[in-house]
Amino acid sequence: MAYLTSQPDPNLFIYAIAGQGETFFAASTAGLYRSEDGGATWALATESLNLTEVVPSTALALSPDFAHEGAVFAGMAGGMLRSADGGRTWLLGKAPPPPPTITALVISPAFIEDGVLLAGTMEDGILRSSDRGLRWLPWNFGLLDLSIYSLAISPDFAADETLFAGAETGIFRSTNGGRAWREVDLPIGFETVLSLAISPAYRLDRTLFAGTESQGLLVSADGGASWKHVGREVFDGPVNGVLLSPEYPARPEMAVLCSGAAWISRDGGQGWQPFLSELSAENEITALYAPRGFAPGSPLWAGLVGGEVTRLTV
Amino acid sequence: MMPRNPRPPIPTDFQRPNVVFQPKTRLGMQRGINLIVDAIRPTLGPLPRVVALKRIGANDQLPELLDSGGLIARRIIQVKGRDEDVGAMFIRHVLWKLQEKAGDGTATAAVMFQTVYNQGVRHIINSGGNAMRMRGFFDRCVPLLLAELDCMRTHLQGKEQLAQLAETITHNRPLAEKLGEIFDIIGEYGRLEIRSGRSRELEREYVEGIYWDGGWFSRDMVNNPVMQRSEMEDAHLFVSDLEINEPADLLPLLELAIGNQIKNLVIVATVLSDRAMSILHTNREKITVLGVKAPEAMATKRQAALQDLAILTGAQPFFKAAGDTLAGVKLAHLGRARRAWATREFFGVVAGRGDPRRLRQHIAELRRSFASAADKDTRELLLSRLGHLMGGSATLWVGGFSPVDIEQTKELASNAAEAMRGAMREGVVPGGGAALLDCRRVIRPLLDEAKDPDEKAAYRIVLKALEAPARTIWRNAGLEDIEVMADLRNAPAGWGYDVLRRRLANMAEAGIWDAASVVKAAVHSAIASAGLALTTDVLVHRKRPPESLDTA
Repeated sequence: MAYLTSQPDPNLFIYAIAGQGETFFAASTAGLYRSEDGGATWALATESLNLTEVVPSTALALSPDFAHEGAVFAGMAGGMLRSADGGRTWLLGKAPPPPPTITALVISPAFIEDGVLLAGTMEDGILRSSDRGLRWLPWNFGLLDLSIYSLAISPDFAADETLFAGAETGIFRSTNGGRAWREVDLPIGFETVLSLAISPAYRLDRTLFAGTESQGLLVSADGGASWKHVGREVFDGPVNGVLLSPEYPARPEMAVLCSGAAWISRDGGQGWQPFLSELSAENEITALYAPRGFAPGSPLWAGLVGGEVTRLTV
Repeated sequence: MMPRNPRPPIPTDFQRPNVVFQPKTRLGMQRGINLIVDAIRPTLGPLPRVVALKRIGANDQLPELLDSGGLIARRIIQVKGRDEDVGAMFIRHVLWKLQEKAGDGTATAAVMFQTVYNQGVRHIINSGGNAMRMRGFFDRCVPLLLAELDCMRTHLQGKEQLAQLAETITHNRPLAEKLGEIFDIIGEYGRLEIRSGRSRELEREYVEGIYWDGGWFSRDMVNNPVMQRSEMEDAHLFVSDLEINEPADLLPLLELAIGNQIKNLVIVATVLSDRAMSILHTNREKITVLGVKAPEAMATKRQAALQDLAILTGAQPFFKAAGDTLAGVKLAHLGRARRAWATREFFGVVAGRGDPRRLRQHIAELRRSFASAADKDTRELLLSRLGHLMGGSATLWVGGFSPVDIEQTKELASNAAEAMRGAMREGVVPGGGAALLDCRRVIRPLLDEAKDPDEKAAYRIVLKALEAPARTIWRNAGLEDIEVMADLRNAPAGWGYDVLRRRLANMAEAGIWDAASVVKAAVHSAIASAGLALTTDVLVHRKRPPESLDTA
């Protein structure tokens, strides 16, 4: 257990945790933090920028080849940061004014070849970069709602160029690499979609999960054409996060963050059990990071309100 | 004694109209129909030949070279022979209406129409068939064919497939590639402007956000002198069609804005006089104001555009016709946008901050209205409104070797765009006439069961009409249609003849598509109209039309 800041701050909210090896990052209302010891200790990552005030960080994306090239990106309230040295030094990406508030960030699984990143913003829709985060341009054709809360990128993006964006009024899909968007019909009307998770085997199973603000968790098994509720009896609040096992659907394990508590399903969403309840009993869980899934013995990082990051083993 | 109100003498021409009876009626009309269709026939297929039309009153100019059936039909405004002219103008009207509605499919409809009409005339003359009864059987076939075409529909995805579709419409690969990319980005309702370019190439440009005609009121408002453009960030918008003539009129709005620490304000109005603008200059330290002209000249269109702008930005529009004045303006009436800009000709907003739910509901309503609108002007207005709300627009700059070349390519692009929108909305069917060949399977059982001679004849005629487009495409490519048809006899559904590669092919796999909306409209127009034309029994010619009597 470790805190991002020197002391617990009840107003500190952790949006995302990501990392590889011993290098970890946490995006929070108190800024972007970095750990070099697997999350045991944390330090503000943006010292080199000499910021005059705290800039909240909201989203993270690591290069698929982070271990070798050290490329990491962080969405901030006011722009995009990029680092090419594992987060030691950062540069600001160039985006059209006024400064956007980033809410979600995805990186192409073929990033090494295509250099593509996409960012969801609070009021400016989708920003897209195809030069490794140097310049960001808005691509909002067909995006009828510019308040984006979540993004999901197809694991087969290099071939199918498919992305999903969760917005204030629903879901939009792009099949041309994020250059244009089309509405996805949801059976629940214009509902805010806070979180999205796409199956690692999307090319085969076309499965996508969507966590909504007040209508629970939805799943589509046909690329967004039709949807049904899962865990309706469990999720009665905002579904802030959905995490699928990297081996899904072979191992149909997934976790959901709902109203500060975590839930786990080991059968593709049919049955749900409370997860990490000893943590959520103390404080609300706001971020989960499970790079190896939820098999017994897998490492897991949880971010809690107040700035606590806990490393656990499933 | 003369009567007080003498009746004007009835002209002799009107008194003695030229009345034409059968069989002259059908044979005369047939000649006219054949004349038009034979002029259009060479344009069908991927290896079309052009039709040269001499320009009216311009003997020293090059003839107009056309490969669009609708345009060729429209250019022929009269043919020799009055009976022939009736037939020619009948089919001309059918084809032009089809062109306006679907954007393409006129050559397909023309050859189908001709087959139905000619075969129908033959049955009536040789076998004593009844035109009205046959028409009833034709009309019975139409919904069955449309339903069958619906079953074959698939939807295209991605710029490659869209480019393939565009190529089947335009037979112009560079243009097709550009249109494929553009429609992949902007979607079926997106805004596309086709303009004359300055180079010889085709170029495309995408514009973020929304823009309308109607630039800034004064050059003083320009803050980017290099681009002659005014730009604002985090702007509030006052949306109206008001005429603001006096400085005092603006005071309530300015006081409201300054009082609420608004730094950037866009005023949309019909008039913003120099006198009124003087107060803006006086307050330029406190607030930056960009005055832009309300879009559209026609009041109804302008109100629609302002309504859309208001929904997009969350503003409440002020309308002169509703008696709105600036005196009652409140903060809640102002819209907001992340960026606003204006040039001499246009103004635009990027990332309007209206309620997205309301915007999506509004767009859904416009789409429903568009789907049910039959009138061309209404459809164009609705499409334009939808295009404005889609988050961006595209411009295709059409270059060429001469102004004539550019205009022709622009027209081709425009018609192709219309057809592609239809294809994206309603899907596509196998092209090259293959879908129509496959439609024969719904008519054959009817023929097998038919006992009545007129009914049998009608179904046989429809079967022939369904073959006519494919046969014409093959013949235009220099092939023997009888041989190709024999080769295709045992081919599975969805197969046709790829005339470019000279082989039988699964049309979907070969990327040969036709817009379902176009094929359906062509089938409907051709069969229903030809059936109607067959029932024409008597022609009445007037030497001068009645309206010319008044002027006489």
